[in-house]
Amino acid sequence: MHDDHSHHEHPKYALIFAALCVFTLISIMADVVQLPYAVKVVAVLSVATCKALCVLAWFMHLKFERAWKYVLLAPTTILALGLPLALMPDVGEHYYTQEVPQMDDYAEHLEHRKHAAEHHGEAEPE
Amino acid sequence: MSHAPSHAVPPIKMGLAIPNSKLCMWLFLGTEIMFFTAFIGTYMVLRLGSKGWPTDPEVTHIRVAAGGINTFVLILSSYFVVVAHEAMSLKNFEKARAFLKWTFALAVVFLGIKSYEYYGKIDHDILPGHIAENDQQAKYKVLKESEKAVAWRLDQLVSKAKSLNAFEKLPEPANDPSKLRKALVDAAGKLKGSDKPAEAAAAEEFKEFDEPDAADPSKSTMFSRFKAMKKDIQSETVPLSEIQHQLEGLKSNEQWGFVFKSVHEPHPILYGNIFASCYFLMTGFHALHVIIGMILFAIVLKQPKLEGWHDFVENSGLYWHFVDLVWIFLFPLLYIV
Repeated sequence: MHDDHSHHEHPKYALIFAALCVFTLISIMADVVQLPYAVKVVAVLSVATCKALCVLAWFMHLKFERAWKYVLLAPTTILALGLPLALMPDVGEHYYTQEVPQMDDYAEHLEHRKHAAEHHGEAEPE
Repeated sequence: MSHAPSHAVPPIKMGLAIPNSKLCMWLFLGTEIMFFTAFIGTYMVLRLGSKGWPTDPEVTHIRVAAGGINTFVLILSSYFVVVAHEAMSLKNFEKARAFLKWTFALAVVFLGIKSYEYYGKIDHDILPGHIAENDQQAKYKVLKESEKAVAWRLDQLVSKAKSLNAFEKLPEPANDPSKLRKALVDAAGKLKGSDKPAEAAAAEEFKEFDEPDAADPSKSTMFSRFKAMKKDIQSETVPLSEIQHQLEGLKSNEQWGFVFKSVHEPHPILYGNIFASCYFLMTGFHALHVIIGMILFAIVLKQPKLEGWHDFVENSGLYWHFVDLVWIFLFPLLYIV
């Protein structure tokens, strides 16, 4: 019985492969076409999630496995999310200002570059 | 021995209705999910907390085309593994072997493209701990690399002078650069006008370390120009663009410009070091997984007969799909976003 269903899954693999290729092309298109940054991020990460689900469901056969898949994958998924979530408040979204000297220098560097560009073009009155 | 009744109840099988090896592979993949999510999650969090993270491909030398091709290569190899597994189930072992060979070949292609990308990064010195993050650091990096280049040249010329017996007497102590420089200049005087072309050419080279009067720029030598740049860098008031200009001047000298070939063009990258750490950590561990997958496939391919290797192929296939899965997330996160 177990072998039976894998027989008629066979032609589907090529379809999944084609879908994955199309998804990859969409990600590259999202990079080539000028999109607002937020739209691009959401687009490529959604595409990546779709691709991951295709691989998990069909190539890794999770679609056809029994309930053990939930027991096995739920704890690891929860724990995997733990670390980024734990780091998020302090590193990703700090409420305090950061003392990063190179950031000030970088702002200065950009300012210099801007001035230099202006200088090379039309000299603006100081 | 008793006669088994014809309507015997099959023995109760404990555990899940899947092979133990497959269960173990899935448990292992569970730990792998946590392993890679830790890297990917920390990378995302670090990025969110660092305004001005480098994304310009001209700066980071991230090549979207290379990443895109590698994505396709891995997806295709994943598909081939599925086909190989399917063929194993149908006992078509020759087909399975052929597709596993193709999978192995695609893994080689993946690593080849990856090495090309790594080469680009190493060539531009985009390595953790090597990147200047502001103008000041960039200037000091130029100084450090130039000092190394000049020391290398000094070593080279001192060996040459020794082989030509050009030193009156060996400088004391033999590791003092200023004494060695002076000895070279003296040697240049001694060899000057020699009728042996090798000696005359060496004399010209030894003059690179002469320290003429700084007032006359027409008399400048390699070492005097290096010293002028060093002074400008250490003054900390000369802008980076000026240092860049001086470095270009040194590099373009026809006689000794090659000495400064190893000095990188100064390009400060804000957060460049943490970016490089994340990039190499994630792609490096992923490449390591690719290599391990190749070993798994090589073990199967070495077997003269594939009968009985169905579960092994299925499990290494699961592992390979996971490697593909990780790349599916690394590609947009590192190459596009």
